Amino acid sequence: MGDSSDEEYLHAEWVPYSERADWGDVTPLPQDDGPNPVVAISYRPKFREVFDYMRAIIARGEKSQRALDLTTEALRLNPANYTVWQYRRDILRELDANLQHELDYLEEVIGQNAKNYQVWHHRRVIVEMMNNAQFELELTQNALDNDGNAKNYHAWQHRQWAIRTFNLYDDELDFVDRLICEDPRNNSAWNQRFFVVKHFGFTPEVIERELAYAMDRIRVIKNNESPWNYLVGVLRQSKSGQLNSNSAVVAFSEGLYNAGNRSPYLMAFLIDLYQEQALQDPSAGEAAQKVNTMCLDMANKHDVIRRKYWEYVANHLKILLSKPSQTEQT
Amino acid sequence: MSYHIVDMTDPSEPKPVLLSKHAKHLVRFLHLLPARLSSHDNTRSTIVFFAVCGLDVLNSLHLITPQLRKDIIDWTYGGLVIPRDNEKQQAGFMGCRAMLPQTEDVEVLECMRKYQWGHLAMTYTSIAVLVTLGDDLSRLDRQTIVDGVAAVQHADGSFSACIDGSENDMRFVYCAATICHMLDCWGSVNKETMFQFIMSSLRYDYGFSQELEGESHGGTTFCALAALELSGQLHRLDAATLERIKRWLVFRQMDGFQGRPNKPVDTCYSFWIGAALRILNGFKLTDYAKNREYILSTQDELIGGFAKWPRSSPDPFHTYLGLCGLAFIGEPGLNDVMPSLNISMAAYANLNQLHEHWRGTDDLKQLRLTGDATTKSTSSSSPLISAQ
Repeated sequence: MGDSSDEEYLHAEWVPYSERADWGDVTPLPQDDGPNPVVAISYRPKFREVFDYMRAIIARGEKSQRALDLTTEALRLNPANYTVWQYRRDILRELDANLQHELDYLEEVIGQNAKNYQVWHHRRVIVEMMNNAQFELELTQNALDNDGNAKNYHAWQHRQWAIRTFNLYDDELDFVDRLICEDPRNNSAWNQRFFVVKHFGFTPEVIERELAYAMDRIRVIKNNESPWNYLVGVLRQSKSGQLNSNSAVVAFSEGLYNAGNRSPYLMAFLIDLYQEQALQDPSAGEAAQKVNTMCLDMANKHDVIRRKYWEYVANHLKILLSKPSQTEQT
Repeated sequence: MSYHIVDMTDPSEPKPVLLSKHAKHLVRFLHLLPARLSSHDNTRSTIVFFAVCGLDVLNSLHLITPQLRKDIIDWTYGGLVIPRDNEKQQAGFMGCRAMLPQTEDVEVLECMRKYQWGHLAMTYTSIAVLVTLGDDLSRLDRQTIVDGVAAVQHADGSFSACIDGSENDMRFVYCAATICHMLDCWGSVNKETMFQFIMSSLRYDYGFSQELEGESHGGTTFCALAALELSGQLHRLDAATLERIKRWLVFRQMDGFQGRPNKPVDTCYSFWIGAALRILNGFKLTDYAKNREYILSTQDELIGGFAKWPRSSPDPFHTYLGLCGLAFIGEPGLNDVMPSLNISMAAYANLNQLHEHWRGTDDLKQLRLTGDATTKSTSSSSPLISAQ
């Protein structure tokens, strides 16, 4: 994606810098890759020329409009060149450039390179320079709404940064809710939900509400890891932090099990729930027995790919349960 | 297309790993990269890393001729930045060779220095390549490099890749830890704030995010755990936390491994998740046969190499990490890999010898300085000991 096509190079519009009158004062500066370079890239002629001029401009320390335009061209050829991005920022500072134009330019660049670290970093620095994040929610929303990109890590990271830095939490829950409705398996959206709810605070009422939200989603798709993880995460925010801290959740999960559901995520939740009970009250053997039975069911039927893991979980609990009795004896 | 060939084979027979094809594939990258890889211009050192370390895992370092070995080492050292006194440039290896001009003009060379700085990922991969090729690192001033690492650490404990123009996140926390560990020197790097940053990125589902409250991710979970191990701080996590992290990791296996819940599997996560589980001593809990089957479904049987998905184009990154994933399950013909440094166990043994040598020399210096034959500098604070 970074490298432009030959077609573009051969296109009549593009005039090599060596043939441009306004660049006549610049002598291109070739790259020194040592006498016997390895992993040598067979650069296309345009790539080579643009970077020869880029080096020459940096060597002169020239920070001008044409230098800025040259960085645009160099970054179109290789948007991952973090040094050229840095030089571009130095030019922008020197020229006291209109940073709104830079944001517009970046909107286009990010549209084409939404999974490139450097473009998002540049965006962050420019927003910091402007001390204004009014376009960041829209920018990241567009990136996430782009077909198949609702889990774009860069976009989410940038969005979280903007929300955190500029206190833009207010409407975020609505946005997240929309994404979860569109795709209940969007784990990025679930994570963002946790981030926002945590900011406002996990009060008992909020915990209740969020548990209900997660259970509603699980009812629709039981075999979906994201709301199960969210459910556990919210339960851990309760005062006791225990998985049995909310009776509705216990009834809900046991109800699913009794109705015949054997989703590995449900089973894993129940195993953890009973394991906690077994460890809290080692004299009650029933919970430990449930863990053992369910682990073996997982290993042999419902989650065979993790057979060794579930056998390990069953054994691990036995070891944990045998430990306190040992200390009692000594 | 290569997968048609597969269809004709007996499906009950496990597919072979085409060892020599992969080796040839990696050697080709060492020589010349096609123009379509121009956007990797700044990360060529990482391609050398994938190729050299891949050949090492393939037990095929002999394919690197003495001349090529010398060329790789010289080219690698050619990217070393050594700042002068009162220069703010960060020591280390450059990613961007585009900032090295071909000129005798002193003024031009001087001016370009302002845009030459070390990059943690390139420093890590360059040192790993040198160690793998048996170089003794004698051309490195270890203290200066570690000063360069400390220079890019932030107040929150995270690291940037370089002094200017880089984001700071878990990837560079990992690179910082590998560099300090490999050079057996932590200098003024703050391990405590580093620990705090890592732990503040542990999420509610017990994966680690790239930074703070981002989404749990397989690559960053590896970076976090490896950095904890390499800095001798893994023991600070309590048993319940370790079990929960293990759960998150084990749940990433579908057939191959995915990087996040509800995402497609990808060959590279056979390394990231596999290595993270090995660090926690939990890799043996995974399904080796399914893992192998998936990795091999991404093998290019025509030109060698591995891709992220079946029927996709292979690349050096997925080729190396696919081979490491296979090494973890004990694939015959492959050398085992040291999970947290992501180099072969043989290269790791070389490194340990260097450490012993350096410590011996340091002891000798200490003796000469103090003149006290009874004083012996101990290495108890060394991260190496605690990371074993």
